[in-house]
Amino acid sequence: MKKLRYVWTVLSVFFISAGYSQTLEEIDGKALFGDLTARHIGPALMSGRINDMETHPTNSRIVYAGTAGGGVWKSSDGGTTFNPIFDDYCQSIGAVALDPNDPDNTIYVGTGETWTRNSVSIGDGLYKTTDGGANWNKIGFEKSERIANIIVNPNNSQEIYVGVLGALWGDSEERGVYKSSDGGATWGQLLYVDPKTGCADLAMDPTNPNVLYASMWEFRRTGWSFESGGDKSALYKSTDGGKTWNKIHNGFPEGKLGRLAIAVAPSNPNVLYTVIEAEKDERKGLYRSNDAGASWEQLNNDFGITVRPFYFSRIVVDPKNEDVVVKGGLSGSISRDGGKTFKNLGNMHSDIHDIVFNIKDSDIMYVGTDGGVYRTWDGGTTMEIVENLPLSQFYQVSVDDAEPYNVYGGLQDNGSWWGPSSSPNGVEARDWNSIGAGDGFRVLKHPTKPIIYSEMQGAESVWRIDTERELTKTIQPLPVSEDQKLRWNWNAPMAISAHQPDRFYMGSQYLHKSEDMGDTWEIISPDLTTNDPAKQNQEDSGGLSMDNSGAENHTTIFTIAESTLDENVIWVGTDDGNVQVTQDGGKTWTNTVANIPGLPKNTWCYHIEASVFDKGTAYAVFDGHTMNDMTPYAFKTTDFGKTWTNIISDDVVGFARNIQEDYENPDLLFLGTEFGLYITMDGGKNWKKFTNNMPAVAVHFIELHKRTNDLVMGTHGRGVIILDDISPLRSINNEVLGKTLHFFETPDTEISETSSFSGNFGTETQFVGSNKTKDVQIKYYLNKRHTFGKMTMVIEDMEGNQIAELGPGKSKGINVVNWNYTRKVPKVAKGKTFSFGGFTAPQVPAGTYKAVITKGKETFEHTFNLVYDKNSPLTEKDRELKEATTMKLYDMTQELAYLVYELDEIMENANTAGDKKTAEKLNSLKETLVITTGDNYVGAAEPQLRERMADLYSKIASSYDKPSAAELQNLEVIAERFNTAKSDFAKLKDKYLKKQAVTLMTFEDFLESK
Amino acid sequence: MKALKLTITLIAVALAIPLQAQTADEIIANYFENTGGLDNWKSLEGIKMSAKVNQGGMEIPLEIYNLKDGRQMTKITFQGKEIKQGVFDGETLWSHNFMTMKAEKSDAEQTSNFKLNTNDFPDSFVDYKDKGYTVELLGTETIDGTETFKIKLVKEPITVDGNQQDDVSYYFFDKDNFVPIAMQSEIKSGPAKGQVSEVTMSDYQEVSGLYFPFSMTQGVKDGQAQPITIDAIELNPAIADTEFAFPDEVGETEKQ
Repeated sequence: MKKLRYVWTVLSVFFISAGYSQTLEEIDGKALFGDLTARHIGPALMSGRINDMETHPTNSRIVYAGTAGGGVWKSSDGGTTFNPIFDDYCQSIGAVALDPNDPDNTIYVGTGETWTRNSVSIGDGLYKTTDGGANWNKIGFEKSERIANIIVNPNNSQEIYVGVLGALWGDSEERGVYKSSDGGATWGQLLYVDPKTGCADLAMDPTNPNVLYASMWEFRRTGWSFESGGDKSALYKSTDGGKTWNKIHNGFPEGKLGRLAIAVAPSNPNVLYTVIEAEKDERKGLYRSNDAGASWEQLNNDFGITVRPFYFSRIVVDPKNEDVVVKGGLSGSISRDGGKTFKNLGNMHSDIHDIVFNIKDSDIMYVGTDGGVYRTWDGGTTMEIVENLPLSQFYQVSVDDAEPYNVYGGLQDNGSWWGPSSSPNGVEARDWNSIGAGDGFRVLKHPTKPIIYSEMQGAESVWRIDTERELTKTIQPLPVSEDQKLRWNWNAPMAISAHQPDRFYMGSQYLHKSEDMGDTWEIISPDLTTNDPAKQNQEDSGGLSMDNSGAENHTTIFTIAESTLDENVIWVGTDDGNVQVTQDGGKTWTNTVANIPGLPKNTWCYHIEASVFDKGTAYAVFDGHTMNDMTPYAFKTTDFGKTWTNIISDDVVGFARNIQEDYENPDLLFLGTEFGLYITMDGGKNWKKFTNNMPAVAVHFIELHKRTNDLVMGTHGRGVIILDDISPLRSINNEVLGKTLHFFETPDTEISETSSFSGNFGTETQFVGSNKTKDVQIKYYLNKRHTFGKMTMVIEDMEGNQIAELGPGKSKGINVVNWNYTRKVPKVAKGKTFSFGGFTAPQVPAGTYKAVITKGKETFEHTFNLVYDKNSPLTEKDRELKEATTMKLYDMTQELAYLVYELDEIMENANTAGDKKTAEKLNSLKETLVITTGDNYVGAAEPQLRERMADLYSKIASSYDKPSAAELQNLEVIAERFNTAKSDFAKLKDKYLKKQAVTLMTFEDFLESK
Repeated sequence: MKALKLTITLIAVALAIPLQAQTADEIIANYFENTGGLDNWKSLEGIKMSAKVNQGGMEIPLEIYNLKDGRQMTKITFQGKEIKQGVFDGETLWSHNFMTMKAEKSDAEQTSNFKLNTNDFPDSFVDYKDKGYTVELLGTETIDGTETFKIKLVKEPITVDGNQQDDVSYYFFDKDNFVPIAMQSEIKSGPAKGQVSEVTMSDYQEVSGLYFPFSMTQGVKDGQAQPITIDAIELNPAIADTEFAFPDEVGETEKQ
């Protein structure tokens, strides 16, 4: 028996050990990526679209924002600042609701934005937390796509009503009004109309939870049109908790109805408001009922009330006053006479989607717009933006080769911008520069000149901006004959060339090429789309309310890629599903889409990536969501499109929009989907989701910055997210995964000697993006987390002298340890106060260093190089002088520290022995060496030798420059003063030690002591 | 000897891992069992940790005292000067001000919240039920690339800026050996309010039969973390009561 147990034990241990090594197929992304962590740079100065605002029923400090593409954010300071609480899940939010009986803990989040514009994302169900957002569980509605409302019965937390708007792009039976009587464990459908009609708004009588109002909306979107309204749209009322429903249309307009909003006045539940989208313009607008829906009276059909019902159907009534009504809209409207007349809300970003009143004071409101959350303190007249919501919705991003590089991109309804990837004190709002108006899309920097191209809606304007001379012109291609009509996508493609810096491409249905930065255009293709006339009737789009903004333009080119290896090879993808390639600079074109196996016809070609390894190789990503197909599609060809291979595995969740190929390892690819970033290291056989500080946000565009290997992502809801230096991923393979510890190569790291002043005034309540580190980064892979036993890491020079001790990472997966290439600070003499100069850690000289990791009995070593900035004005001799002088002062500082230590010990001994004379002499010497009075602030005493020495040390050590003549002179003075002190002390010491033995540490022991 | 103990622990753990689901109580029991035994933990009177943090080349030595009666203290040595932070004598919570280096009391709210932790020595999970705490196993989660059990711990409610709030933290116990490798909690006050603080624990080593993490990192989840290295742990240290007492420093500035 004992023996058996022994064998079993050995086996178990063996299995555990064997279990540590995983293959690329087995290993989970969370176990692999370790310390590789994304950073967010915003921007937040224009924020992004908000879908739903929510307050806490009893704590006025707490406010929630449910956003269109950036998750759920919570404020606990009355809306001054917000933090995200839903990063691991779908970021497109329809509704946020708090259980009124347990509002601190129980929160429901319905995913899927409900303002159904063309660029709207999708949801994946209803979530619940019972601990204030620390942990979430999905509790159903997987296929609901968008949830409009969640209402918890205020008298019974187990009863929850959910209004499901449902699928936008196709039929679905998961729509209507649902109820759970068991806290969300099971659901029953209470109200269902048909597969095209969903619940757009749901309200409950606050005094009687059995009374419910539901607005049902018939709607449908395609890639080329939108339809709002029909016979099925209606407003329903139930008085029995949703068992039976009746239409309440007494006083409603005749004919078809569109999207309706419904609101119950909290202070008088007989008063209802609805906004009606109707066939006749004069019958559209605001209706009020004073008898709980028995009859309705039309009050107002102003523009602010009737504008774009699919986007703005939200009415909110002041909880304290039934006659104060606020309506979402282009500017937002407020009435103080029960809905008869309205005025606009104060100046803020346009497109107002939701409003909530503060629970204590109705002068305070929080307003959700296309440009973030605004607060008002004066009843809606003055609006103030929340500055820390980085919700920007990028359609595309690009980068340049500046140092640090800049990021460019266009935003939904928020123009186009460029800003630095790093900046002193972090990337702040003021670091960003506006580079276009309207809805921004693609922004490209000219490869060599200070020129930026940007655009707005459907190439309505394509700007060429000379940023140096501040000169701007529009350069979009124009029709060249009377019968020529150019069709532009809302998000019209543009491209630059790696071969000719002045070359610029744009795509309508044709490919346009300019060799002079857009002044002259040539069409170099036939119509590359299907040119399907059925998809070109945008003037009929909108349904009951015409909505021809241009956003639905279709049968257009969407992506253009010129090969970096051969300028005659150009790839073009169209929104109606063509993949065209030319190998002769546009003379002949081949549509290769028929060669793609398993791709539904006319699936939107969202991105083509021309390979940097081979000109016949390319990747194409297709997005079928506008045809109600949520499958991710990505394919690779190696023969100019004659054959294509699927490179998506089952690991990938969410439809895909973009792919990025690595520049060194052709098997390393990055995929942006609607729910985040995926990485493959084996050419698409296995994809790993990357989740380290990377929310499950829609990634619309990915760029890989060549010099830094930074992966730059344009997300549609969380701004620009950067994954710094992906180079370790290039060498991940099964062999590496099997090693106990594997060091990744450290690129030569430039010692940063730059510094600048950048006060952070005013950023207290602003989002500030994190910077890329300037430290050298030691990266290694551990095949198991280090939990038991000692593991240390030191930096040594090549002679084996220890320079620094670092805290090594212990995670399974990739670990990253930063070193700021400094030695330890010098040991400073003990005084009454601090010597601030002594807190300076001296930078080590450039050269080769060694990182040594000791893990249990094993030791792992890795060398790396630090180099100086090539542009530094210092010569090698200057460097030597700087290093020698710094270290001389460093050593002097430590010597003085030891001297003061000896002095203190002897003085104490003398005091104890009653040798007052010696003690006094020593004390007066000490008073000239260190500060013995005052404090560290304005009570500071006159500086003594320690302070003067340490300040000079710090001055020289922290300068980029070699020591100046003035500094060297000052050093002479200090050195002489120190010599005098040393000899004065030596005399006193020798004399005393002859009389009396004193135990003193050696200099080395002293340095090691506390 | 240590290596042998570690092997034994691993073996014990290997045998202890049943394939069926764990309860929070089983995980906590395994944790105490694998780190020295609950009785041994309960018989501890105090802990002194000698540690260091490294901040940009500056190595800051710390001495951290935790006593059974709830008294605590962190001594920091800066340029040979000793500064005390987070000193709690059972009634008063105080720290040295860095400008004047004089003792100052923490505000009443912080002190009363701190007082609630006096029953948490040597570990919040010891006799948690008797303290009125609740634990809940929320499932498994990958932390530091490692599968862990996630346990929610709810302690006495605290007061934040005048409002009472639950004191919730999440512990992540390594599935292989049941020791906690990370702890997360929401930061309730100050500039990082609303973010999640994360402490990770590693380098567990034995001290007189008990296993302690000798390396920790402290920071904001997904942000930079500050490593703390523990050089030595002394159990039941001798320390004078006066070390914890709030000093009367009036007149200090007059002294030369």
